Amino acid sequence: MTPALVVRGLVKAFGNHVAVDDISFEVPRGVVYGILGPNGAGKSTTLRMINDIFAPDAGEIVVLDGLRPGSEAAQQIGYLPEERGLYPKMKVAEMIEFIGELRGLARAEARRRTGAWLDRLGLAQWGSNKVQDLSKGMQQKVQFATALIHEPQLVILDEPWSGLDPINAEVLREVVDEIRASGRTVLFSTHQMEQAEKVVDSVCIIARGKKILDGNLKDLKQREAADGLVSLGFGDAASRATADALLADRALVADRRAPRAGDVADCEVKLADGVTAQQLLAALVTAGVSVRRFEVVVPTLHQIFVDRVGASATVAERRPEVA
Amino acid sequence: MRDLRDMFVIARREFLERVRSKWFAVITVLGPIGMVAMVLVPALIAGQGADGAKVEIVDRSGVIGKPLFDKLAQARWKPAVVPAETPDRIEMDRIRDHKINGFVTIPADALGGGQILYRGDNASSQVVQVTLHQLVSQVVQAERGKLAGIPQDKLDAVLARPNFDAQHTNGETEGASGMASFLIAYMLAFILYMVITLYGVGVMRSVVQEKTSRVMELMVATVKPRSLMAGKILGVGGAGLVQITVWLAMGAITLAYREQILGAFGVTGGGPALPSIAFGEVAIVLLYFILGFFFYASIYAAVGAMVSSEQDTQQVQMPVTMLLVIGVLCLQMISNDPRGSASAIMTMVPFWSSMLMPMRYVLGGATLGEVAISIAILVVSTVLIARAAAKIYRVGVLMYGKRPGVRELIRWLRY
Repeated sequence: MTPALVVRGLVKAFGNHVAVDDISFEVPRGVVYGILGPNGAGKSTTLRMINDIFAPDAGEIVVLDGLRPGSEAAQQIGYLPEERGLYPKMKVAEMIEFIGELRGLARAEARRRTGAWLDRLGLAQWGSNKVQDLSKGMQQKVQFATALIHEPQLVILDEPWSGLDPINAEVLREVVDEIRASGRTVLFSTHQMEQAEKVVDSVCIIARGKKILDGNLKDLKQREAADGLVSLGFGDAASRATADALLADRALVADRRAPRAGDVADCEVKLADGVTAQQLLAALVTAGVSVRRFEVVVPTLHQIFVDRVGASATVAERRPEVA
Repeated sequence: MRDLRDMFVIARREFLERVRSKWFAVITVLGPIGMVAMVLVPALIAGQGADGAKVEIVDRSGVIGKPLFDKLAQARWKPAVVPAETPDRIEMDRIRDHKINGFVTIPADALGGGQILYRGDNASSQVVQVTLHQLVSQVVQAERGKLAGIPQDKLDAVLARPNFDAQHTNGETEGASGMASFLIAYMLAFILYMVITLYGVGVMRSVVQEKTSRVMELMVATVKPRSLMAGKILGVGGAGLVQITVWLAMGAITLAYREQILGAFGVTGGGPALPSIAFGEVAIVLLYFILGFFFYASIYAAVGAMVSSEQDTQQVQMPVTMLLVIGVLCLQMISNDPRGSASAIMTMVPFWSSMLMPMRYVLGGATLGEVAISIAILVVSTVLIARAAAKIYRVGVLMYGKRPGVRELIRWLRY
């Protein structure tokens, strides 16, 4: 089966600013794929090119079975734009039907499915209200329905969590899981790594228009774990003092940092090149250190992101993740 | 095929959104009433201006005062004759104190050509001026006749008003009242201007609102901008067509039953002869409306795509409004000389033909051949404008914030 999406050598510049600089990635069918990056990395521009809103300056986009971005591909794509927006004066049900029809559904079918989606999203009694009468959160749900009404093979969600409360974030995750379970594909962009980590199968991390890395999340994590990050906890003050001396050895430990917030460890160390976790443990035990905790850390998506993109790039995006 | 379907789905949305709004119903029904009121109310107010006007007559000739008093009283004014030696100062004070509206000063040599002067707070009223002028002339002429020794019956025969009428014709059509022809043609042109402006601006606002509500991104991801623009123009235009059809139907019914309607207001005789409006003329009006609307709606859609907020539209649409206003200013010229060469030229230029040609044709100034040429020019230029507008639209719809300069616009056209 062809991939859900192939992007090769995509370039897009606005004036002198190169927003997307030679980005390539491939989204297999039936996965949840995240494009991750700080603000201004080129995520939305990439998604807009896939949706035929912008024409790329160079490169190639193939959607599903050999389709180019355009009106034929649009029938197979559902899109939640970063710029959320609906017709304020339209009735809620008609708004969803309208997009369903434009995405290729027959009118009666669009109407039937709209009813089902309104029920599903808890908006059943709002169908004949005007969009502008709804709260922001409810409008957000209607926007989701417009992206999903035609059961597209490829669902593209640009920053789906922005403006979602925790309950609706949960609804979104369920919907994403369902789409994956039905063998369809989800491509989303976000800078909220913790949200992304809960749903993605594969990721592509981009920054300043360039691809940093991509691949299956499990593989990436294992690869990053192999770089040797160990979280340590010691039994008593004496052991801690002994260990401190040992960990200062640059031949053994490349870097030492404070444990992450909420972690019960005493410290986190990065092993020097060529040193295995086994060797560190042996050295500690030999020195008579009482080891209470010894864990090879599998990095979170956030850590991988920070390591690769640089902490500076994510400073601005930290706050919403905590919230 | 798909683009065509998209276009109709979009047109249906635009059409329904307009037709369903309360304002649409209100304007459709009340629009003609409002237009008629705009013509009638000032006339009625003006007509009232002279009734019951308090006018004093200072007659220093000794002969004109009495008959003028009778004539004014007949016209339901409230005249009074004051002593001939009353100084102007006193009369002026009475005007100042709102005792009277004005006073007529008749000099001793009035019959010999001396100036008869009216001064009053209502002298600016057309009705007052015309009535006084007429009545004073009649009285003076009658007194001159008496002075010359002409018997009363002969004098009446001489002074009887001649029967005069002006009828409009181009040599082929039956004559019709000149005034009525002008009014009908003017109304048609004005309705076209109003509807084209109203709905052209409607298209522009609709584009701008898609930007301000941010629904534009969803729309251009879903359909081709070309289909979006075409659907929008079609839907908005459809609503306009419904409106203009209702208006024309109301107008036709009013004309058909005008004697009964006028009778209900106590007017008999049915007023001046109106030119009959044939089915062919209605068809031409509608055809020009459709073409003129597409022409201007494309321009307005492009204008909407160039700006990002309602406020910005004011400036950018100025040149378009100017074009339309030039057309309105030419209405008088067409009606004065429907067969003249300036009229012929203006009704060929696509910017104005949609507004002016129906008028010129109804007035019998244009042959069907000329109409055909003007329509052909309009069709070709509409296609060209629509293409250019679609390109500007394609690039412009997603621009937020800055407005493009002329150089940038030209670049957009080359996309």
